[in-house]
Amino acid sequence: MELFKTILTVAFLTQVFRLMTPYYLGASAANFSERGGVINIAIEGFMILSAFSFAMFSIITHNTWLSVFLAIVINLVFALLYSLFTVKLKINQIVTGVGFNILIAGLTKFLMMIIFHSSSNTERFEGIQDNEFIAKIPVIGDILSDYIVLFAIILIFISNFVLFKTTFGLRLRSVGENPEAAESLGIKVHHYKIYGILISGFLASLAGIWLASEQKSFSDGMIAGRGYIALAAMIIGKWKPINIFFASLIFAFFEALQISIQISGTPIPSQIIQMLPYLITILVLVGLIGKTKPPAADGVPY
Amino acid sequence: MNAVEFNNITKSFGQLTVNDKVTFAVEENTVHCLLGENGAGKSTLMKILFGSYHQDEGTIKIRGKEVKFKSPLDAIDEKIGMLYQHFMLIDDFTIWENVVLGNELSSFGKLDYKKIKARLNEIIEQYNLGLDINKKICDISISQEQKVELLKLLYRNSEILIFDEPTAVLSPVEVKEFFKIIEKFKADGKTIIFITHKLNEVKELADKVSILRKGQLVYETSKENIDVQRLGNEIIGNVEITECPAKSHPNEDNRKYFIELKDVTLIKNKVKVLDDISFDIKRYEIHGICGVEGNGQQELVDVILQFEKSFSGSVMMKDERVSIVPDDRYKRGMIKEFTIGENILLKKKNTGFISKYMVDSTSQYIMKKYDVRAPSAETPLGSLSGGNQQKAIIAREIEMQQNTMIFYHPTRGVDINAMAFIHSEIVSLRNGGKAILLISSDLDELLKLSDRLSVMHKGRLINTFTESELVTENKNNLVEEIGKLMIGIH
Amino acid sequence: MSGLTLKRFSIQTQANIISISLSLLTTFAITVILILCIGKNPFPIFGTMFSEVFLSGYGIGQTLFKATPLIICGCGLAFCFHAAIFNIGAEGQLNAGAFTMGLVALKLEAFPWYISIVICVIVSFGVSAFFGLIPALIKIKKSVSEVITTIMMNFIIMALINYFLVDFFAAKSTMHTEKIPENMMLLKFSTMFSFFQGSSLNICFVIALLLAFISYIVIYKTKFGYEIRAVGFNPSASKYIGISPDRIVLLTFMIGAGITSLVGLNFIMGYKGFYEYGFSNNVGFTAIAVALLARNNPIGIIFSAILFGVLDSGGLAVNEMVPKEIVLVVQGVIILTILSINTIVDKKFNLKR
Repeated sequence: MELFKTILTVAFLTQVFRLMTPYYLGASAANFSERGGVINIAIEGFMILSAFSFAMFSIITHNTWLSVFLAIVINLVFALLYSLFTVKLKINQIVTGVGFNILIAGLTKFLMMIIFHSSSNTERFEGIQDNEFIAKIPVIGDILSDYIVLFAIILIFISNFVLFKTTFGLRLRSVGENPEAAESLGIKVHHYKIYGILISGFLASLAGIWLASEQKSFSDGMIAGRGYIALAAMIIGKWKPINIFFASLIFAFFEALQISIQISGTPIPSQIIQMLPYLITILVLVGLIGKTKPPAADGVPY
Repeated sequence: MNAVEFNNITKSFGQLTVNDKVTFAVEENTVHCLLGENGAGKSTLMKILFGSYHQDEGTIKIRGKEVKFKSPLDAIDEKIGMLYQHFMLIDDFTIWENVVLGNELSSFGKLDYKKIKARLNEIIEQYNLGLDINKKICDISISQEQKVELLKLLYRNSEILIFDEPTAVLSPVEVKEFFKIIEKFKADGKTIIFITHKLNEVKELADKVSILRKGQLVYETSKENIDVQRLGNEIIGNVEITECPAKSHPNEDNRKYFIELKDVTLIKNKVKVLDDISFDIKRYEIHGICGVEGNGQQELVDVILQFEKSFSGSVMMKDERVSIVPDDRYKRGMIKEFTIGENILLKKKNTGFISKYMVDSTSQYIMKKYDVRAPSAETPLGSLSGGNQQKAIIAREIEMQQNTMIFYHPTRGVDINAMAFIHSEIVSLRNGGKAILLISSDLDELLKLSDRLSVMHKGRLINTFTESELVTENKNNLVEEIGKLMIGIH
Repeated sequence: MSGLTLKRFSIQTQANIISISLSLLTTFAITVILILCIGKNPFPIFGTMFSEVFLSGYGIGQTLFKATPLIICGCGLAFCFHAAIFNIGAEGQLNAGAFTMGLVALKLEAFPWYISIVICVIVSFGVSAFFGLIPALIKIKKSVSEVITTIMMNFIIMALINYFLVDFFAAKSTMHTEKIPENMMLLKFSTMFSFFQGSSLNICFVIALLLAFISYIVIYKTKFGYEIRAVGFNPSASKYIGISPDRIVLLTFMIGAGITSLVGLNFIMGYKGFYEYGFSNNVGFTAIAVALLARNNPIGIIFSAILFGVLDSGGLAVNEMVPKEIVLVVQGVIILTILSINTIVDKKFNLKR
C-alpha cells in the first residue's frame, strides 16, 4: 500500500520519464541500425564508450558541452569502424558486436587505470545542467528541463517522421527489407546502411552521456546491460518508434519501482530486486503475443 | 535507328566466360526476343545493359550514343527499365512505396504523397492495371506483383524495357492479358527486349530474334523468317538429349493407393489456404498438380510431409517417410556448404559416425551413377551449376528408396540437358512402381509426364483430368481449358 | 582429381596460416603502439612477459592452468556456434553449474572420490544445461534472439548466486562456499613433476584436452555433428532433409551450456576446493573470442586457449609496469583483427566460407 502511494506521486512519474531516456535512446539507436538491416548489439559498448569519454573529457576540460561533442565524435568514429566491419567487410554482425563490446569494456578499464589510477570509478564532475527556463514550468518542467530527456521525447516524433515520411526513411527501410530490390532502383545500399549505423552511434552516445551525467562520474559496469535491455525494448516495440517508446517506459517503470522498493526498505533481498529489470525483460519478451518480425533482411550482410 | 547496340561485349566471372564478344542491335520500337538456355548468358548481358554488372570488354550504345553505366541509376536516367524474373519487390512495403523508391516525389526530403498518388493512379488508369496503391505487396497476387513491376517502369518513363522471362509465373490467360499490355507499349513507341524460353511466344510477339549459346551470339533472324524448329535447334546446339522412356502400363490391381487425403482444410491467418482437398497418389502413376504459384501448393506439401499439423480432415499414408525434391533448392533443397556425399549421408537413416572415406565414396558413386558433374568429390554442392545441384538432390531422393515421392518444380532454372535427364528419371521411377506427386506451374512438363492432372486454385482442387482425358488429339483445347481453370474460370 | 583436392586443401591451409599470423602480427603492432602511447617502453615489458611465462615451470604451468577453463568453455560454445546459436550466456551458465558443484560436493563425503566427482559433474552439467534450455525454448517458441535472453540470464544467474551465497551457503564473512572434502581434490601436476612447482595446473587440463578431441569427433565425424552444422548453415533445408531444427537447437544449446559447467571442476576440485563468487573472471566471454579465433574447431580451440592463457598470465606478470587491464584491450583487438583479416585474406584467395 505504501508502495502504491509512492507510485502515484509526480516525483515517481518524473523518475520514470528520466529513467526511460537511456532505454529509449538506446532502443532508437538499435532501431535505426536494424531498419537498415544491420543488427547492432554493440549498443551496450557504444553506451559504455560515450559515458566514459564524456566523463573523461569533463574531468580534463571542465567544459561540459565540449565534452558532449567530443564524446559524440568518438562514438561516431567507432560506429564508422563498426560499419566497416559489418557493411564493407560483411562480417557476421553479432560476432562483430560481441567483439566491439569486449574491446570497449577492456579499453575503458585500461584507460581508467592509466588516467584515473582506479579500476572502479573516476572522480566526480559536474554533468549537464538543466535548462533553468524550462525548469520553471510547473509539473512537466521537472522532466523536460533535462536537455537529453527533452531530446528523447522529441525523438519519438522525429524518428517516426524520418522513418515513414521522408525519402531517407523510405530508402533506409528498403535497404533493411530487400537490399537487392533497393539496389535495382539505384539506391546505394552500403551508404544507407552506414547512415543507419552512424545515427545509431549518435543516439547511443546520448544515452551513455546521460547516464554518466546523472551519476556525475563514470564507474565500471555502470551501463549494466542497459544496451541489451534497449535491444529488447526495440524488439518488444516491434521496430516502431512509438511502440518502442512505450516498451522503454515499461522498463523505466520497473527500474523506478526497484529504486523505490530499495529505498523504502522491504524484506525482499536486494539481489532479487536488482535482477528485476533483467527478469522482466525476459518475461516481457516471452509474454509477447505472436512471433516478432524484424526487417526482412536484418542481420544478412549485403 | 537502333535503341541499343551491343558491340563485342565480353564478361567473365573467374574462369567462366558468360558473354563472349556479343554483338547485336535492337531497333527502336520493336519487340526483340532474346533466347537461350539457362546459363547461356542472357541475364548477364541484360544486367550489363542495366548497369548492374560491368562488361570486361566491348561497348554499349543507347540511341547511337556510347554509354558507360556505373549503376542501374544511370540506366534509369537513360530511360531503360528492367522487369526482373525474380521480382524486386519489398513485401512489407505498399505498392506506392515500392514504385517510387529511388525516384521519390518529395519536397525538402518529405515524401509528397498527394503528388505520388495522382501520378500513379494516372498511369494505372492509362494502362488499365487495376492496382490499389495502398495495398502491401504481401497481400497481392503474383500477377499483380508483376503489374507493380510494370508500374515501376512506367513511373520512370522507361522507353527501353527489358523483360526477363515475364510469362514464367503467369497462367495462359494472364499471359494473353500481358501480351495486350506489350502491344500497348509498342503502340506508345517503346522498345522491348523480351527474354523467354517459350518458342510459341516468340512466334507471336517477336519482330526480331537473337539467340545466345554458351555466351556467344549464334543466330539472328527477323519476324518473316521465324521457324520454331530451327530456333529450338540453335538454342541447344549439337548435344545429345537423354530420351524419355515410354510409360509402361501395369495392370490396374497393382495401382494401390500410397497417399490418400480426405477433406483436408487448412486455415492460416484466417485464410483457407487449403480448402476441402481430397485426392490420392497411386503406384505406377504420376499425379500432376498444376496451378499458379501461391495457390496452396506449398501448404499441400507441408501437410503431406507433416510439417503442418493443424489441418482438419484426414491424411492416410502407407509409409511414414516421403521423398521430396523441394521447389527452391537453395532455401530448402541442400546444405550448400556440404559436399554431395555429405548431403546424401545427412538424409540417410544411419546413425553414428561419418568418415571422410564414406563421404568421398558416396560423392563419387552419385557423380558416376547420376552423371553429376563436379570438379571433385570434395567440392561443396553450392559451387556446382544449377542443373548439377538439382541432379544431386534428385539422386539423393532416389537413393532414399521411398515408395512415395514428391517433385515440386523439379526442373526450375535448369538447362535443357538436365531437364531431359530429370524427366526421364521421373518416368523411370514411375515405371518402377513409385507413386509420384508432381507439382509444377510448367504446363508442358505436366502434360508430358502426368498420368492424372489436377488443377489447383485458391487452395482448392477444382478439376482432375484422368488419363484418358489427357490423351487427346486436340492439345490446344485442353491447354486452353486448363489455363482457364488455373485462374478460377470454370 | 586427387591433385586438385590436394591443391584446394593447401590453399585453404595457406590462407588460414596467413590470416592467423597476420592477425597476431597486427595485434602485436597495435599493442606496441598502445604501450608507446602511454609513454612506456614496450620491449622490457615483452621481455619480462616472455621470461615469466615461458622460462619457468611455474609460468608454463600457470599458463596452461589458465587455458584449461577456456578450452572447456570454448568447446561448449563451439557446439552452439556451429548450430548458429549465439550463446553469450556461458558466463552465467558455467557459474550456475560450478556453484551447484561446490554445494553438492559438500554432501558427498561418504562416497569414494570417483563416485562423488561423477555425481558432481552430472548434477552441475544438468544445472548448466537447464540454463541453456530456457533461452533455447524462448528462441524456438517465440523466435526471440538468444543473444538478448542469454545476456539477461547472465545478470539473473549472478544475482541469484549472490543471494543464495550471502544468505545461505557462504563460509563466514567470505564470498565462497565451504571447503569440499579433501579426498575429492584432483591430482596436481606439481605433485608428479617438480618442474611445475607451485603452479595450480591439474589433471583437468588433460580432461580439457580429451573434451576437445571428443568434441572434434562429434562435430566433424558423426551424424549428429553433421546435423548440428546443417542446422547452423540452413535450418529450412535441414527440415526437408529430415532433421528437426528445433530439436537440434534444443539439444545443442543444452549440451553446449552443460559443457561449460566443467569449468567448475578445474577451479573447485583442481584448485581452491570451494566455489567463489566471481571466480570465473569473464571466462564465459573470453571463450567466445577463443572459439572464434579457432573458427569453432575444438582442436584449434586448444591452441587459441593457450594463447589467451599466455596473455592472461603474462598480463599479471607485467602488472607492475603496465596495468594488467591491457590484456583486455589486446583480447578485444585480437577478436577484431582476426575477424577482419580472415575476411580480407579469404577474399584474396577467393575462398568462400
